[in-house]
Amino acid sequence: MIRTVDLCKSYTLGGSTVHALDKVTVDVMPGEFVAVIGSSGSGKSTLMNMLGGLDKPDSGAVVINEKDISQLSGRDLAAYRGETLGFVFQQFQLMPRRSALHNVMLPLQYRRPRLPDGEHRAKEALTAVGLGDRSHHKPKELSGGQQQRVAIARALVGSPALLLADEPTGALDSRTSSEIMNLLVTLNQRDGLTIVLITHDLEVAHYASRILTMSDGQIVSDQPSNKAAA
Amino acid sequence: MTLPGFRLLRNAFGSLAEHPLRTLLTMLGIIIGVAAVYAMLAIGEGAEKKILESLDGPQARTITVFPDWTRGRSSQRRPYRRLNEADLLEIRALPGVEAATGNLSREYPVITDATDWSSDIRGADQDHLFANDLKIESGRAITQTDLEQKETVAVLGQTVTRNVFGEQYPVGAKIKIGNVPFTVVGTLKKASDTGWNNGRDRDNFVLVPRSTLRDRLVGGDYLVRNHVNQFRIVGEDQKVLDQIENDVGAILRRSRGLSTADAPDFRILNFSANRQQFAETQRTLSILLFAMGAVSLIVGGVGVMNIMLVSVSERTREIGLRMSLGARGSDILSQFLVEALLICVLSGLIGLGIGYGVSNFDLGEDLEMVFSWSNALLAFGSAGLIGMIFGFLPAFRASRLNPVEALRHE
Repeated sequence: MIRTVDLCKSYTLGGSTVHALDKVTVDVMPGEFVAVIGSSGSGKSTLMNMLGGLDKPDSGAVVINEKDISQLSGRDLAAYRGETLGFVFQQFQLMPRRSALHNVMLPLQYRRPRLPDGEHRAKEALTAVGLGDRSHHKPKELSGGQQQRVAIARALVGSPALLLADEPTGALDSRTSSEIMNLLVTLNQRDGLTIVLITHDLEVAHYASRILTMSDGQIVSDQPSNKAAA
Repeated sequence: MTLPGFRLLRNAFGSLAEHPLRTLLTMLGIIIGVAAVYAMLAIGEGAEKKILESLDGPQARTITVFPDWTRGRSSQRRPYRRLNEADLLEIRALPGVEAATGNLSREYPVITDATDWSSDIRGADQDHLFANDLKIESGRAITQTDLEQKETVAVLGQTVTRNVFGEQYPVGAKIKIGNVPFTVVGTLKKASDTGWNNGRDRDNFVLVPRSTLRDRLVGGDYLVRNHVNQFRIVGEDQKVLDQIENDVGAILRRSRGLSTADAPDFRILNFSANRQQFAETQRTLSILLFAMGAVSLIVGGVGVMNIMLVSVSERTREIGLRMSLGARGSDILSQFLVEALLICVLSGLIGLGIGYGVSNFDLGEDLEMVFSWSNALLAFGSAGLIGMIFGFLPAFRASRLNPVEALRHE
């Protein structure tokens, strides 16, 4: 599913060079639920941007479904993001003046060729996250947990192969966090969705089946989570 | 266009409607620009029409001759001498002269059983209608026979027809001019707007044979000496006017006993120079309006660009989000370009409406606005072009945003 090979990325910050990613090589199998954990500056966000095709590595390769996306043109990258990926962000990133349904439909307008029955798909996605009856509410009429579920529905609407979640619980209280995490676990276990979760919270990371720990741009540990035991 | 056009438009409408006042103020510059550009084109078209009409018609080939006091001390002046019919006959026979007519007119009351009216009674001849660019509406014109026979026949200008006869048919009716009974044999169409009349009614006059006017109404010296106040001479084209001017001068000097050394006691006016000046004025006005319109459009365009830049930076996160959801750079580009275009197209329509509205006001007789689809399209198109040009930079910027940074933007 995902293979990164010697992925390097460095930034120049105030004259000194920061190695955000330093020869990161990692494999993720289809259907895995992987959490990437690390303190801020550890390079986990940079890794996610690489996987999402939002940023290009200095060297190395990002191979997703046998395709090296670091070599794609801007146009093909946009198609990759639209068709293969679903993004979930910490700040939900919903369009404030649009209903939940229209927010969920947003990625479909960039789909080429257009998917038939977009509204139906969007409603199904909302039902899948338990918000089938809230489809006409605007984001500000929904709670934080509900907003994040709308964002998850938006990520699911295009039937992605890979869900990238960047601190999805970062703006939520602990009870709502566990709701959202349980939803992700369900999507992973029931639907076989591959999920890469970025977090700094070990407790959240334990919902995943495998935990990668990053520090200074390198993966320092790679072990199964003890969730099975829990 | 990679998205269906309808959705693009609806989205653009939506985001413009979020800031109605801002949108309106942005539109204002374009509205004024389009209205001015349209007005310029319409006035230019009107002026061109007028110039073409006047170049075409006999008015543009007319020379006017009238007597003048000689210069010098009053004690040495010769008496004021009028022109006469013999001069006119000679001028009419000149090569290159298409028509020559004499003017002799006086105010008299025009009386019927029902009403009376005061009007300018003009002594006409067979060339009068052509030389004055007048057209018969009903009945007939004054003929050479009428002049020879000194017939008491009259042809009415439109104001007289309307005020004396109202709805009645005037041809064949009897009227009294002064105390002399006349028969109405024709009526005239409204006089054309070309030329100058110092704001008087162009149509308040009655044509009668000049011989009859002299014989039955004016009398005196005019009758004894066959006087005429003024000549109007129409050349076959504008090129012969200078030659005619010379020939007429020669004829008048001979008949008035003036040598080439004497100062003339008559004046010959050639209006073609005035006409050129008129055309020049219209052109200057057009250029002025065009400059105003162009400046306003450009300033308006800068306003559009400014607002679009604000809009792009306000929506940086939205742009990043759309990109992460699969939008291409070109999708973002068209989203913002359509928005800028929409501002300009809406303004263009309003501006055209205002420009067209203005053209329905009476702008005075030297100014006429002529509607034409090509002008409307041109003015409207310039608004679209401004939208394209000034909308492109902000839209391009938006399309080149780095999605990672855009998503992090506060």
